[in-house]
Amino acid sequence: MGFLYLASLLMGITCMLLLDHRFRLFFWRDAKAAAIVTAVGVLFLLGWDVAGIGLGIFLRGEGTIATGLLLAPELPIEEPVFLLFLVLCTMVLYTGARQLLDRTPAKRSERARERENV
Amino acid sequence: MTYLWLALAFIAAAVAAGVIFARQGARPGESGKHWKAVGLAFAALAVLTAVFDSVMIGMELFHYDSAHILGLKVGLAPIEDFAYPLAGAVALPGLWMWLTRKRSGESNRGGNLKGLIPQALLASRPVSWINTAYPFAAAMLLTTREIDWVLIVGTFYFLIPYNLAMYGINDVFDYESDLKNPRKGGMEGALLQPRLHRPMLWLAAITNVPFLLVLAFAGGPAAWISLAVSAFAVVAYSVAGLRFKERPVLDSLTSSTHFVSPAVVGLALAGADVTPGLVILLVAFFLWGMAAHAFGAVQDIEPDRQAGIGSIATVIGARRTVRLAVVLWLVAGLAMLATPWPGPLAAIIAVPYIINCARYWNVTDTTAARTNVAWRRFIWLNYGSGFLVTLIFILQWSLTS
Repeated sequence: MGFLYLASLLMGITCMLLLDHRFRLFFWRDAKAAAIVTAVGVLFLLGWDVAGIGLGIFLRGEGTIATGLLLAPELPIEEPVFLLFLVLCTMVLYTGARQLLDRTPAKRSERARERENV
Repeated sequence: MTYLWLALAFIAAAVAAGVIFARQGARPGESGKHWKAVGLAFAALAVLTAVFDSVMIGMELFHYDSAHILGLKVGLAPIEDFAYPLAGAVALPGLWMWLTRKRSGESNRGGNLKGLIPQALLASRPVSWINTAYPFAAAMLLTTREIDWVLIVGTFYFLIPYNLAMYGINDVFDYESDLKNPRKGGMEGALLQPRLHRPMLWLAAITNVPFLLVLAFAGGPAAWISLAVSAFAVVAYSVAGLRFKERPVLDSLTSSTHFVSPAVVGLALAGADVTPGLVILLVAFFLWGMAAHAFGAVQDIEPDRQAGIGSIATVIGARRTVRLAVVLWLVAGLAMLATPWPGPLAAIIAVPYIINCARYWNVTDTTAARTNVAWRRFIWLNYGSGFLVTLIFILQWSLTS
């Protein structure tokens, strides 16, 4: 039984939440909306997983870094944790990109104003 | 090819949702930035997927039936695997923009929730988390003798979300009386600012309901009933209208249920056989819990009366409550003598509690606040008792294996 994969995922989630906290991106911007987006995202992707497993496409590996604990046939306990990480990573990237994009024109107009003042 | 069709179906759903949400949610001029940010997020995700999907497949975490995939790969990652980040990046930011559409112009709502998580954790009494997680984990592990996902999920639930709900709800509805009690705000509880009351109740619901559903799903009718009783006791103890904590005797019964019900849930999920020894053990544990609650209420007699709050201690008085607690611990200890070996060893655990509490045999309502010294000792006594109980469990394990 290995915990490396699960531990890495939890560490990744922690890092995403730290970024979120530091830049007020997602949960620290609107906790309720973020909770809804996270729940919808994880459930949607989990549905996709279940469909893939049902069609016999996705097969669990026997990797030694996984716990080997199963929620359902071919669905390891790590999977929802991975999907949570994926959703958080997606949203931190998107909200981070939005913050950068929103900031750039503001700076430009500030600079323009400065020039006018001179 | 099957994976490609599956991926296309889910991507189509995601794109449709993403476009509709973005149209409905975007303010004028926002749309361009939204899709640019979506593009940037997906580009970064695609690079991460190429790297980490390859690593994960290389580590044999999962693989694919080769008959079902196109065979086109980036590194070790099949091209179809990029469908997950694509669908996520297209749909979820749209949903986010739609959900936050009205508020972005108003004052920052996130600011109102500032401090909720630290406050909630402080309110949940981390020093007492183990008191609910341990009974569950011990009961389940000793029955099934293996660590499975139900054990891990259930232990986590009774470690944090359960306490978050129990103490969070309590602190919201006790705000008025806690204001008058200088003891609150440290180890034994936290004063919760009124602006955080509603968010705290939401947090309790969001963190508890999914776990309750998952655990109910994992068990049968016995688990459903015990989970329902457990959750009801958590809510009924302090919520306005029920306020079991203000109903003498019912308060101690409910409080003890908070600690015994996790063990019962564990036994139910594990499918334990109901034996006389097991019932006696649970009854002894229950009496121990009632005594603990009753004794804890003695120190709060004055502030509770001033705030017009009833408890077993305000109704029957400090002296009789202390004596009742001593008797309950005594009976709990004696009951353990009737359990099969090595259960009788646990009788000794009652002794330090009785000694700690019996010193206040003649306490009066005016000196009741002094029992706080014993109460603080009591919190650490529990750790010692947990240690002894664990040793007895290990002995029992080795005797029966």
